[in-house]
Amino acid sequence: MLLLPKFDYEEPKSLPEALAMLSELKGNGKVIAGGTDLLVNMKKGTVKPAFLVSLRKVEGLREIGGENGGLAIGSHATVSEIADSDRVGSMFPVLARSASCLGSPLIRNRATIGGNIVTARPAADLPPALIVLGAYVELKGKDANRTIPLDGFFTGPGTSVIESGEVLTRIILPSAPPFTGGDYIKIGHRAALEIAIAAAASRLTLDKPDGVIVDARVVLSAVAPTAIHAASAEKALIGQRPSEELFAKAAALAEGDCSPITDMRGGAEYRRDMVNTLVKRTLLKAFNDARDMKGGNA
Amino acid sequence: MKKLITFTVNEMGYEVAVAPNKTLTQVLRDDLDLLGTKEGCGVGDCGACTVIMDGKPVNSCLVLAVQADGSTIKTIEGVARGDSLHPVQETFVEMGAIQCGFCTPGMVLSATSLLEKNPHPTEHEVREALSGNLCRCTGYQKIVEAVQEASRRMKG
Ligand SMILES: Cc1cc2nc3c(=O)[nH]c(=O)nc-3n(C[C@H](O)[C@H](O)[C@H](O)COP(=O)(O)OP(=O)(O)OC[C@H]3O[C@@H](n4cnc5c(N)ncnc54)[C@H](O)[C@@H]3O)c2cc1C
Ligand code: FES
Ligand code: FES
Repeated sequence: MLLLPKFDYEEPKSLPEALAMLSELKGNGKVIAGGTDLLVNMKKGTVKPAFLVSLRKVEGLREIGGENGGLAIGSHATVSEIADSDRVGSMFPVLARSASCLGSPLIRNRATIGGNIVTARPAADLPPALIVLGAYVELKGKDANRTIPLDGFFTGPGTSVIESGEVLTRIILPSAPPFTGGDYIKIGHRAALEIAIAAAASRLTLDKPDGVIVDARVVLSAVAPTAIHAASAEKALIGQRPSEELFAKAAALAEGDCSPITDMRGGAEYRRDMVNTLVKRTLLKAFNDARDMKGGNA
Repeated sequence: MKKLITFTVNEMGYEVAVAPNKTLTQVLRDDLDLLGTKEGCGVGDCGACTVIMDGKPVNSCLVLAVQADGSTIKTIEGVARGDSLHPVQETFVEMGAIQCGFCTPGMVLSATSLLEKNPHPTEHEVREALSGNLCRCTGYQKIVEAVQEASRRMKG
């Protein structure tokens, strides 16, 4: 049986209390949300925090609510709450889709959106969808708060710009422009309990239903140290009239934008091939949704 | 330092002093003597440790007992009513959905939890709801059939 090392544990009732605690603990304290990542790492001995600060009793961190026509999601909302939320499903189906393919139903009932972001795994499911949606993350520290784009938050596998005394409190999704559609596809060896071999999220915005592409976002996951933009694919799409040929061209360019590795989950060449397929498919779905939708919807 | 936690397990209230590094699986088995909850992998992959926590099935090997303070837990011991088995348990027994039995508590809890939310699931929905529970013996087919049969019996 895998045992957990010894540590102390507190459940502050408010955010200021949690922030004061983390600041006092300096680097020795770690936030625990759902624990589905942290406890596995602690059991395997890769992290050994002396003190865990649980956010479960901090008020207001689980709300999913409207904000300026978009959505604000508390960092402690669980992945299943996001996957099942009607609000998320109707406003940002790409996010709901990525949430419903994370782990298993059992994991989703504990895993939080905040944990999925801060853990900064290269293959994490929510970040690609959140990045194409233009998400911002709200970080609060004892003395300062900042709200920054999620795009640029990650610095490498397992690392990001968050500081040890900071807590991720909310994820903010700006409202989508009209004629916008998106998609997220992940491939693994099986449908559940599988870290992505490769994944892609795309979002397209048209100027009118039969118009040209005015905004294109293509984000790839598990094929580089962090989720990355397929920048040359995005560039090739903007200003163009959507077509299958255009999407095939963008997909081929996306292959060159990634830097996959070979590991036990898949070979680099296979991953590159899959990037091509996933980008093509997500763009087609994004285009169909963008064309069919009158209002903003991603 | 140990912490005092209060929680409800199978409709009984408990107060237990637990070390922060004990998982819910450990406390259910070692302190409460509820040996129906199994530990397989210990890292969220197999579902043998499944319990229902505040209405939702979770991997109890990845829940700290201190995180269960104030919560309501159902384990496999709380599924039957006295001597009468839950329809899911009945069909598992009758239809050969149990071989070694190690996965069974978790399978039954995930299945009963599905049927509460969705009384008439499709085969796909059954497979999806059980996708966090691994079985090394049955090949799943009989488990899926047992859940579908239980759903039919619960209708009438
Ligand atoms: C069997 C299994 C399957 C999995 N499958 C997938 C999968 O398919 N896709 C996927 O993306 N992930 C998967 N995961 C990983 C994990 O479940 C997710 O990353 C999950 O979203 C983590 O959230 P959590 O609340 O459990 O985080 P925790 O484990 O509580 O925390 C993770 C990290 O984030 C920090 N943290 C958490 N919340 C905050 C906050 N609000 N502010 C600051 N720091 C914070 C913690 O200190 C810790 O370092 C899987 C895990 C397991 C065990
Ligand atoms: S023992 Fe908990 S999932 Fe395997
Ligand atoms: S019956 Fe043996 S693991 Fe399922």
